Amino acid sequence: MIRRVLWLDTEHPMQLALGLTIWSLWFVTVYGGLSVVCAVSPPAPEEGAFTGLNLVLGGLTLLTLGFLAWLTQRCVAAARRKRGRLRYMSALAGGLYLFSTLGVAFVGLPLLLLPPCL
Amino acid sequence: MSDTQVPGHHAQDKTAQLHRELEAVWRNPHGWRALTVVNHSTLGLRFMGTGLAFFLIGGVLAMLIRAQLALPSQAFMTPEIYNQVTTMHGTVMMFLFAIPVLEGLAIYLIPKMLGTRDLLCPRLTAFGYWCYLFGGIILLSSMALEMAPDSGWFMYTPLSSGEYSPGKGSDFWLLGITFVEISALSAGVELTVSILRTRADGMALHRMPLFAWYILVMALMIVVGFPPLIFGSVLLELERATGMPFFIVEQGGDPILWQHLFWLFGHPEVYIIFLPAAGIVSTLLPVFARRPIVGYGWAVAAVIITGFISFGLWVHHMFTVGIPHLAQAFFSAASMLVAVPTAIQVFVWLATLWLGRPRMSLPMLWILGFLVIFVCGGLTGVMLALVPFDWQVHDTHFVVAHMHYVLVGGMFFPLMAGLVYWLPLVSGRMPSERLGRLGFWLTFLGFNLTFLIMHWTGLLGMPRRVYTYDSTMGWDIYNLISSVGGFMLSAGIAVVLLDLALHWRYGRPAPPNPWEADTLEWALAMPPAPYNFASLPTIKSRHPLWHNPALGDEMARGEHALADASHGRREILGGEVLTGRVRERIHLPTNSWWPLFAALVLAVVCIGLLVRLYPLALGAFLVAVVMLLRWAWENGGHPVAAPLGDEEGDELPLHSRTQGGPARYTMGVSLIADGAFFHSLLFGWFYLWSVSPQWRLPEQSPLDPMLLIGAGIAFALGMLWLERRLRRLYAGNETRLALAFYLIAAFGGLHVLLLGVLLWQADLAPTDNAHDAILLVSLSYLLAHGLLATVLMVLQGRRAALGYVSTRLPMEPGVVALFWRYQLGIYAVLAVSLGVLPRVIGGGA
Repeated sequence: MIRRVLWLDTEHPMQLALGLTIWSLWFVTVYGGLSVVCAVSPPAPEEGAFTGLNLVLGGLTLLTLGFLAWLTQRCVAAARRKRGRLRYMSALAGGLYLFSTLGVAFVGLPLLLLPPCL
Repeated sequence: MSDTQVPGHHAQDKTAQLHRELEAVWRNPHGWRALTVVNHSTLGLRFMGTGLAFFLIGGVLAMLIRAQLALPSQAFMTPEIYNQVTTMHGTVMMFLFAIPVLEGLAIYLIPKMLGTRDLLCPRLTAFGYWCYLFGGIILLSSMALEMAPDSGWFMYTPLSSGEYSPGKGSDFWLLGITFVEISALSAGVELTVSILRTRADGMALHRMPLFAWYILVMALMIVVGFPPLIFGSVLLELERATGMPFFIVEQGGDPILWQHLFWLFGHPEVYIIFLPAAGIVSTLLPVFARRPIVGYGWAVAAVIITGFISFGLWVHHMFTVGIPHLAQAFFSAASMLVAVPTAIQVFVWLATLWLGRPRMSLPMLWILGFLVIFVCGGLTGVMLALVPFDWQVHDTHFVVAHMHYVLVGGMFFPLMAGLVYWLPLVSGRMPSERLGRLGFWLTFLGFNLTFLIMHWTGLLGMPRRVYTYDSTMGWDIYNLISSVGGFMLSAGIAVVLLDLALHWRYGRPAPPNPWEADTLEWALAMPPAPYNFASLPTIKSRHPLWHNPALGDEMARGEHALADASHGRREILGGEVLTGRVRERIHLPTNSWWPLFAALVLAVVCIGLLVRLYPLALGAFLVAVVMLLRWAWENGGHPVAAPLGDEEGDELPLHSRTQGGPARYTMGVSLIADGAFFHSLLFGWFYLWSVSPQWRLPEQSPLDPMLLIGAGIAFALGMLWLERRLRRLYAGNETRLALAFYLIAAFGGLHVLLLGVLLWQADLAPTDNAHDAILLVSLSYLLAHGLLATVLMVLQGRRAALGYVSTRLPMEPGVVALFWRYQLGIYAVLAVSLGVLPRVIGGGA
C-alpha cells in the first residue's frame, strides 16, 4: 500500500511555503551557478546572451516555471472543489504558487538579454 | 428571592476561588525575586521599556549628527567622534531599539490575542530579555569608555578589521551584537512555536488574527536571517583576535564575504522590522474602519511572499562592488518584485478604509502618517532597485533619506499607533487626544522636513558618513533645513513622552474594550491578570469579540476550558497547527533564577573575550553550559515540573506524557536557526573556494579519510540504535532503557574522539591561510555539536534511570533524536564538502 504523504495535500500548511521555497532554490542556483562559472571559466563577452551558460540557466528556469505552473493549477483546481478551511488553504497556496511562477519568469527574463559575465 | 440569589452567590464564590487559585500559581514575585519573573506580560513590557531607553540614547546621537551637519565646516565634533556617533546611532536604533521593541510588543500581545496564558518557553523569554539588556549595556559602555565602534553600522571589512580598526570598537560591536542576537533568536523560536501550537481551541490558521500571521513570518525570518550575521561576526572576531584571515585577500580570504553575510541578514532585517509594524496597521485599521479587513487572504499571502522574497535582495546593497550585470539584473528584478506584496497590503488597507466607516482617532492619525511616508519610501526603494540609478546615488544622503522613510515610516509610525491603541490595555486609561495630536504633527512635519529635503542633498552629491562639508558644495541650506526638521522631530517625540508620563496619572479611565475591537486581548481585565484568561475560549470566528461581545465575561467566570488551577501547575492548551483543535495540556515552568544567572555568566564570557582574558571566557562559557543543562533538567516528568501522579486529571493528556509535544517543534525551529548558521558556513567555504583570488587548496588534503569515515560510522550506528530504541519505547517497551541510552551516548563519545583526533592530526595552520582557518571553524562546529549530542544522550540515560523518561513519559528522547539526526546530516554534508570534493575537483590528492 502506498503511504499517503500528508504535506502533498493542497490544504497542508507546508504548501504555503513550498512554492516560494522552490523560487528561492531556483534563485540561489541560478545566481550561484552564474557566479561560479564566471569565476572559473567565463564565456567570451562577444558571445552576447547566447552562451551555453545562459542556455543551461534558461533551461532550468523553464523547468522550474513549468513545475510551479503545474502546482498552481493543482491548487486552484482543488480550491474549486473544496469548501471552508480546505478551500481557503488551497486557494492561498495556489496564489502563492502563482506568484512564485511569475517571480521565476520576471527575475529570469534577463537571461534572454544579457551576457553572463560582463 | 433568596432562591435566585443563592446560586448566584455560589457562582461568584466559585469564580473568586478560581481567580485566587490562578493568582497563587501565576503571580509575579516582588523585591529581588522580581528578577526571576518569566511572565510574558511583564517581560514584554520590560523589553519595550528598555527599548525606549535605548531609543532615547539613539535619538540623542541623531541630534548630535544633525547639530554637526547643520552648518558647513563645523568643528562641533572631530571626525573620529563623528564616526563613532553615526555608527552607534545606526547600531542602537536597529539592534537595540527597533527589533527588541517589536519583539517586546509581540511577546506581550501574542498569547493574549491567541487566547492563551503565556508563551511556550517562559524561561527562554526571560533569558532573551537578560541577554538583550546585558548585550546592550556592554555595547553602550564602549561610548562611555570612548572606544565605540566607528566603521559604520554594517561594519564593512577591511575597515573594521584589525589593520584599519586596531582599537576595541569593532570588538564591542561584534561581541555585543552577537549577545543581543541570542535574545532575538530566543524570541524568534518561541514566538514561532507558540503561534503554531498554543492557539485557542478552534482557532484554525484561517481564523488567526492577522497580527499573529505577521509575527509568525517575522519570527521565522529572525530564525533564518540572524544566523548569517552571527556567523560573520564569529569569523571577524576570530580574525581580529587570533589572526585567522577570513577577510584578508593576501591569505586567501575576501572582504566581500563579510558584505554577503551581513546583507544576507541586513536586508531581511528591514522586513523583520517592517512586518510587525504592518501587522499593527492590519490590526488597527479594520477596528477604526469598523469592518473586517478587505482581503484577509491577500494580506496573508503578501506577508508570506515578503518573508521569502526579502531574502533574495541582499546583493542590491552591493551593486557597486563589481559583480556581473546579469547577476545585478536578477537582484534588481527581485527588488522590484518585493514591491508587489507591499503594494497588495497597501491596497488591502485602502480598500478597508474605502468600504468602512472610518473614525479619525489618534491611532488612525499615526497610521495615515505611516501610509504617506512609507509609500514614498517604497517608491524611492523601487528607484534604488534600478542599477544605473543606484550607481548614481550610492553612498549619498539620498540613500540615508530613503532608509529613514522606510524604517521610520514603516516601523516608528505604526509602533506609535500601536502604543496609543494598546495603552489602555496596559494602564486602564485612555490616551490624551490633544497632546497626542500635537506630538504627531510635530513628529510628522519634523520628519518630512528632515528627510524629504535630504533626498535633494543626496541628489546634489553629498556623501554619507562625512563629518563636514565645504560651503562651496552648495549643500548648506538643505542641511540647515534638515537639522531644523530634526529638532522639530525631537520636540514631537518629547511631547509624546510627556503625554505618556502624564497618562498614568491623568488619563481618563478606559471603558471595557474602548475601541470596540474584535481581537481577544480586549476581552481581558485592564491591566490584565498575570494568567490573562481565567478560562480559555473556543473560537468560531475570525472576530471573536464582534461575534460574541460577552466572551470576556464568560471567560472570567470560568465558563470555558482549563478553569482549574488547584493542581498548582501553570497550564495552557496545546493544539494542532492547521485546525487549532486541542490535543494536550501544556505545563509551563514557573519563575526561575536560571535565565538571569545564565545570561550573567554569558556576559562574563563576552567581557572575557573583549579584554582577551581567554581562560576567564572559557571558564565562564563552561559554567554557562552547565547552567543551561541544569535549567533544562527541570522539565518533563521532573518533580519540579510535573511529576507522574496516580490521577492525571481529565481526558486531555499533559504534554510530557505524549510522544509529539511542542518541545519537538521548539527543537525543530531551533535547528532551522542552526541550519541557517550551517548554510552560512557552507556558503563561506564555497564562496572563498570559488571567488577569493588568493585561495589555495593544499596539495594533500589535511583530513585523514579513514578518521573522517570512522567518525561518521560511529555516529550513524549510535543514531540507528537510538531510532530503534525510540520505536520500542513508543511501542511500550522500556526494558534497560537507561543502559541503552548510555551505550548510544558511548557511540557519540567515540564520534567526538575520532573527530578530535582528526582535527589534531590535520595539523592546521589557521592563522596562515583562510583554507585552514575555515576548516578549523567547520571541524570545531562539528565537534561542538557532537559533544552536545553525546551529553544530551548521557542525560537521557540518567533521566531514564530516575524514571523521568519511560513509556508513560516518552517525549524527551524524540526531541534529542532530532538533534542527533541534525548532527548526522551536517556531518555528512561537511565530510563531502571538506573531505571529498577537494580531492575530486582539485587541489588535494
